Amino acid sequence: MNKLKKILAKILEIKEDEINDKTSPDNTPTWDSYNGLLIASELEEAFNLKFTMDEVTRVKNVKDIKGVLKKHKIKINS
Amino acid sequence: MNDRHKKINIAILSSFTLNSLPAELKKVCHDAKINVDVYLGKYNQYVQEILDGNSGLYKFKPDVIILFIDAKTLLGELFFNPYGSQKDIWEKWPNTISRNLSDLIRKLLNKTEAKIIFHNFETPIYSPLGIIENRKRSGYFESIEKLNTILRGSFKDNNRVFIFDYNNFCSRIGKENIIDSKMYYLGDIKISFKYLTQLCHEYLAYIIPIAAKTKKCLVFDLDNTLWGGIIGEDGFEGIKLGPTPEGKPFLEFQKHILALHNRGLMLAINSKNNPADALKVLREHPYMILKEENFVAKRINWQDKITNMKELAKELNIGLDSFIFFDDDKVNREMVKKYLPQVEVVEMPEDPSLYPLTLFKINSFNTFQITEEDRKRNEMYIQEKKRIELKNEVQNLEEFIKSLELETAILKADKFTIPRISQLTLKTNQFNVTTKRYNEGQIKNFIKSDKYLIKCYQIVDKFGDYGITGVAIIKQINKDWLIDTFLLSCRVLGKNVEFAIMGSIIKEAKKKKIKKIISEFVPTSKNKPAENFYQDCRFKIIEKTAGRTKYSFDIKKDGFIQPNYINIH
Repeated sequence: MNKLKKILAKILEIKEDEINDKTSPDNTPTWDSYNGLLIASELEEAFNLKFTMDEVTRVKNVKDIKGVLKKHKIKINS
Repeated sequence: MNDRHKKINIAILSSFTLNSLPAELKKVCHDAKINVDVYLGKYNQYVQEILDGNSGLYKFKPDVIILFIDAKTLLGELFFNPYGSQKDIWEKWPNTISRNLSDLIRKLLNKTEAKIIFHNFETPIYSPLGIIENRKRSGYFESIEKLNTILRGSFKDNNRVFIFDYNNFCSRIGKENIIDSKMYYLGDIKISFKYLTQLCHEYLAYIIPIAAKTKKCLVFDLDNTLWGGIIGEDGFEGIKLGPTPEGKPFLEFQKHILALHNRGLMLAINSKNNPADALKVLREHPYMILKEENFVAKRINWQDKITNMKELAKELNIGLDSFIFFDDDKVNREMVKKYLPQVEVVEMPEDPSLYPLTLFKINSFNTFQITEEDRKRNEMYIQEKKRIELKNEVQNLEEFIKSLELETAILKADKFTIPRISQLTLKTNQFNVTTKRYNEGQIKNFIKSDKYLIKCYQIVDKFGDYGITGVAIIKQINKDWLIDTFLLSCRVLGKNVEFAIMGSIIKEAKKKKIKKIISEFVPTSKNKPAENFYQDCRFKIIEKTAGRTKYSFDIKKDGFIQPNYINIH
């Protein structure tokens, strides 16, 4: 089960299998700054953690999200 | 049916980013089976939206306007340095600011028909003065409290403006939690995403009465709901109810229920029990706060709860969608949810110490005003019981109605009766020929225009006063009258009062030299009782479609004899 993909798909209104490491605000029109914040907030709830402001602003694509989650000791497969 | 699907337009004006609110509010309303459309004003442009007559706000034609201005935006630099700029700034501040805000609210009142929900301001939790903040004369904290007090006072008697106590809402959640600081700095989001659902539930409390979905009756199971334990097993002395740690949650739960009963909600019982055992507790238990006479109807038996619920609806002559059901047993709750989805079922927590808090969270019995009729409702239902007993004695229906000694007083629409007239149009579903819903403002507009005749009817019989329970709204078109609204509260159905009222309308039409009376019946899922009314009054069908039947009554040619045993004056 990939919680991350589920959250991204829901907020960005795209299919889970369309999401990969390179998915980013540049290639996803629904990924605006507001939805970026929503993603951060939902991930905090889902994984029971708190990002710093810096972690949120540094994210440029899905790969970066995985990196931040890894820093919080959350492993995301695929 | 059309009225029930009418969309309610909700506009939100705010001073910061609230992009997720519309979707959340739609979802919460949808779950409550209310159809809404939501408009979100431009980011921090509430003033422009209100002042510009062509703004998106007015084009949206809102039924409800929510004005959410946060204290931080309102305060500006003062938030950071409350005592820095000018000396004595706070002395005039509450009056000046409240005047500005009241002006905005008045603009909305003038330009729309909407109800206005105005957030009051969150009192701050930090002052640079620390422990001596509260010593300051006209201090910072005190001034915001004062602003809230002034605003609350200004609109107390206005039936379209409601001050939403946002300060209280923040306190409940915790002022340190309500803002997610990171989200505030990144996106000017001043309420954390995770509390938006809760906020929408607060708004829902205002939307339910607009949608005419207000609940009227609380239905209770007994064992482990109104008292702890099972009366059939633990016995009269064994149940938990009273000033002991285990009995107190039930005692206090009952006290809170009694307070709701006193504001006009009906109470009923739906319990699987030996009636004699349960009634003994109701009648004799020293700590039973709710007495037998507080319950307008009881089903204490071994029938299933679904059948009981249906019987209660029938006995009280109200829809199943007027009920809120409390039962500690999950299986019973699921059954009711499944077979009677119209009934609101409360998720009772396993721990009775949480019962009172659970009760506080229910917001579906709100009304915009509590009328005298609401307060007397229970008394009236008990009188109704006596009438039914009499009916059982008297066999012939007409004889029975005669023996009630009915009197109907025709009252005009004025400031005393307008709230009730509006309430009746909003709440009456059964004997309502057109089911048109009108707020107080609309009724007032009818009165202002000389084209409308608005009457309401107070009905009394030998057992008591039903209060104002009938409304007729008539529009004059040249030499004809069009009956726009004709309704009777279900409390007075089956007494032929509607014919007495129609008789009086025809009589008045004759006096005013009206040629004919035109009327319509618009079927809904609930107004079957009024279906044949116009035919019974000898009106002639002039047009019939699936959505409406149109009738006409020629004053000179057609004859109608009103019942002579109902006094109407």
